[in-house]
This record gives sequence, C-alpha cells and structure tokens, in this order.
Amino acid sequence: MASSAAMGPAMGSMLLQSCRAAHGVSARRAAAAAAAAAAVSLRQQQRAGLSTTAAMLKRHKYPGARDNRDHNKHRGESAIRRTGTRWRLSMSDEPLPKPVERSQLPRIETDENHGLWDFFYDRQTVAQAPEEDAKHGRGWSVEELRHKSWDDLHRLWWVCVKERNRIATAAWERNKSKLGFGDAESKTRDSQVRLTMRGIRHVLTERQYVWEDAVKLAETDPEVNLLGDGAAYTPSEYLESEEVEVEVPAAEEVPAAEEVPASGEAASEPAATVPEPETIPSGKAPESTR
Amino acid sequence: MQLTRALLGMRYRKLRLTTKDVNKGFYKGTGSGAMGRHTKYGGYKIEWSRVRTYVCPSLEGFKLTPFVTNNMRPTYGVYNDANGPRNPANYLSRWKSENGLD
Repeated sequence: MASSAAMGPAMGSMLLQSCRAAHGVSARRAAAAAAAAAAVSLRQQQRAGLSTTAAMLKRHKYPGARDNRDHNKHRGESAIRRTGTRWRLSMSDEPLPKPVERSQLPRIETDENHGLWDFFYDRQTVAQAPEEDAKHGRGWSVEELRHKSWDDLHRLWWVCVKERNRIATAAWERNKSKLGFGDAESKTRDSQVRLTMRGIRHVLTERQYVWEDAVKLAETDPEVNLLGDGAAYTPSEYLESEEVEVEVPAAEEVPAAEEVPASGEAASEPAATVPEPETIPSGKAPESTR
Repeated sequence: MQLTRALLGMRYRKLRLTTKDVNKGFYKGTGSGAMGRHTKYGGYKIEWSRVRTYVCPSLEGFKLTPFVTNNMRPTYGVYNDANGPRNPANYLSRWKSENGLD
C-alpha cells in the first residue's frame, strides 16, 4: 500500500524526537516514554493512513449513543482526481453480449396441436375484429336440442365452452392492449352461446325427470319387466300373433309394435296411444339443415 | 313468477346478499364446492377424490356449432298434451319402439 511507504519518514522522525527527549530527562523515564511512543506510533500506523486522530473524533461515548458511522458511501470519490469508486469493480476480458435482431433469434418450439391453441380464433391474431365477431347466428332453441342424443349434447356443450373461452380471451386481449371497440359484439355473441348452454341444461334436466316418471309408469306396465331377470320388454301383441301364425323373424317385430295404438289397448296404457310421430319428426327434419 | 308471501311482507331486495346483511357465522361461499378438509392445525388437506376433473369428449368430426343460422327461425314444439315434452308415456312408448332392451 502507498500509506506504508508514506509513513516511513514520519515514523522515523517521531522515533528521533523521542530519542532526543530521552537525553533531557532521566534515563528510566525516557526509556519508558520511548517504548510507549513507539508502540503508539506502530498502532497508529496500522490504523490509519493519513490522519492519526481518527479514533479520537468519536464524540459520543455514553451507552446508547448514536453511531458515528460515515453515512456517505461516496466520500472521497472525485472524478477530477480520478479516485474511482470506493468498492472494487469486477472486470473481465470477456466480450459483452450484443443484442440480436428478433428475426435472427431461433424459433421457439411449440406444440402445434396444443390444446391452448383453442383459446384463439386464429394463430396470427389475438382477437377478432368486431365485424368478424358479429358474424354469428342465434342460439339453439330448446325444441331443437330435444331431438339430440346425449353424446351430441355433451359434445355441443364442450364446443360452447371452447367458444366462450375464445370470446373471453379476445375480450381480455382487447382490454389489455386497448384495441378499442368490440365489447358489444363480443357480449352479444357470448349471450347466444350461453343461450345454447342453457338449452342443453334444460333438455337434460327435462329428460331426467321424464325418465324418472317413465320408470314409475313402467312399474305398472305389464309389458315391461324391470326386475332384470329376463327380457325388459315383452310386447303383448307380438306374443298373441305368434300363437296364431308360424314363427316370424324379427321383421315382424316392428309392425307389431306400431300396431299397439291401433289395436286399442286403451285399458292398460291410455297415454301410450299417443302416436310418437307427432313429436319426433318436427325436429328431425331440420337436423340436416344445421 | 310471484314472490312468496314471506318475502312480500318484507322489503324487496334488489341488491345481492352479502355477508354483512346476515348474522355472523354465515358462509356465503362462491358456489364452488370444497375440495378437501381443514386440518386442526389450520392447514388444508386436498382430497383428490373431491377434486373435479372435467373430461372433454372427442370433438373430431363434430360439426355442430353453438349457433344456428339466422335464416332459420327458432322452432318450438307442438304438443297436444298438457304434459308437453314431459310426458312419460311418450317416453315409454318411444323406448319400446326404439330400444326395449335395457
């Protein structure tokens, strides 16, 4: 360090002074003083570079006194004197990284078939334009959904869920990026999807209740066996015709079932005489158009 | 729809019920069921048998959309019966003609 080299002459002069003083006073005192002075100077040399009175400057010595720390982290720094910082700066010979053009960056590998892609209408745009969003039909009516099977309703429900996810994602992006208009279109679109979903719930609930009532009705029906120990359905008409005619294959079964209302078995099943085609074909016809 | 008698005598609320409107101890919840149990140490133990798992069916080749074309007016069923679409006899006769097995 530079301080040790600078202190060399100063220490020597102090030692000389102490030696001169020893000649004036008695020898014992002089020897003790010289030893003490040497010890003090050594201690001071180790402690501070320039000022030897740094430790004496501490003013408050009572217990609980405020600390005398120097709160200026940059004391002594000077650009003119080119002192540099008070802390070490880490340096290395490694070249600094340079920014790369985005086009030259390696393409991030993503799964093309990832399910999260379903949250967007398009892979290039985050949200549809309002005009595109407004291009939608109406929701399904309950009557149209009544003629759909369980599997169809189940899948249609999930189609609706995905559509709502897309709408919500686009709305979120529109809000985040402040893209402007499009909220009203998105809301009307969403309301139609929710209409469809409400219809699906309606139909399934209705179907469940009708099934429960039909089970109760079937318990009183002599043709139906709910015990599970044989055929669930034994058509009475079919059995009668079997006794008269020769054995007829399954082709006979269909007209036999249709003849039930015609033959007038009103005593056991009054409500069953309502012909089924009244309710079913009204919905089966438009299926092809959808 | 008409309010019940008990409600008609009271003031009619147009605001949603909050936990500040009722006595303490009322838990309103969010409509989502519990997925575990509280431990006596204040933690929460998730019971995986209660955690919901939704399985989307395969949608391959499924052509229905949430929307129906506006060119077609919404259809409504015509039922001569008082029960309408909820006629169990219709259900039973249809089951007999179409299935009749299980």
